[in-house]
Amino acid sequence: MIAEETLVQELKDKESQAKAFEVLVNTYKERLYWHIRRIVLDHDDADDVLQNTFIKVYRNIDGFKGDGKLYSWMYRIATNESLTFLKQKSKKMGIGDQELKERMVENLEADVYFEGDAIQLKLQKALAELPDKQKLVFTMKYFQEMKYEEISEVLETSVGALKASYHLAVKKIEAYLKAD
Amino acid sequence: MKKDKKNSFNTPEGYFESFHDRLKDRIQHEAGEEESIIPKTDGFGVPEHYFETVVPNILSRTTEEKGKVVRLRPKRYFYYGAAAVAAVFILVFSGIWNSGAEPIGFDDLANTEIDTYFDNNRIDMSSYELAEMVSFEDIQLNDILEEDLSGEVILEYLDENVNDLRDLNIEYIDYE
Repeated sequence: MIAEETLVQELKDKESQAKAFEVLVNTYKERLYWHIRRIVLDHDDADDVLQNTFIKVYRNIDGFKGDGKLYSWMYRIATNESLTFLKQKSKKMGIGDQELKERMVENLEADVYFEGDAIQLKLQKALAELPDKQKLVFTMKYFQEMKYEEISEVLETSVGALKASYHLAVKKIEAYLKAD
Repeated sequence: MKKDKKNSFNTPEGYFESFHDRLKDRIQHEAGEEESIIPKTDGFGVPEHYFETVVPNILSRTTEEKGKVVRLRPKRYFYYGAAAVAAVFILVFSGIWNSGAEPIGFDDLANTEIDTYFDNNRIDMSSYELAEMVSFEDIQLNDILEEDLSGEVILEYLDENVNDLRDLNIEYIDYE
């Protein structure tokens, strides 16, 4: 696999940009997709946001100074794009953020690209009850198996605060799943 | 060494077979590693071959982007941004001012259609494209409104309707 530093240099060079961008998309498409999907839940929405994320990366690569890691920067863009997308969606539908989250979970029951069973659906309901930050920390740690240090770079939050958030999220989810 | 063959104690059926599993559960429990009830996977799926097809889609969008790039001088850059804001104001406010007073007639059709389009579609036009389509060479926003818009109204509108100041192209902040 191409080294990240080399890839960044190639992305900034007009000559090698196109090829390097293709490598970048192929390297990160799945990881970013799943990160986005767990925020927006719907596949088509995730597809839109994923494409917008890569376009933003493409447009702004010259502004990437390289003092942080490329994937953290991309994850940050993906997170912001996803949250902004949901905000715009709730505004367009004329409903509040919480109501939108509840509707998104309800829609999963009829979603052909959601193959979850009753407990997995209940998990989504539990996640919809969490504050955005707690939900992000939980999904990044539990499902994407990211290290606290990596999550810290993406969310710009201390490792200690992330551990507390994760612990709290797990307790809330377990309590929700145990409840009838 | 003699074996005690007179053992009269019995054990429940299958006691020794299940001993290992029960011991493992106890060790896990005491170490606080009880298995969570949270499922290991979340049940999401993707259409077949999605990850192969998404790549050309993204790459084709970057090719389109390349075709659109226009170098702008800072002054012109600001001018286009301001013109784009004005264009949005006209489209939105003309709908508000005209609504309610009279039933919609043929002359209003264009505006209502435009409003509906804006309501129902994600607009991917950049502010440059909007500015290029609508000419505002010699026109001021208040020239087309019956009442002057105060600064407060404009600020309130921007506060409620603009998520990202970069949309206005007045200030440009890179992701860093």
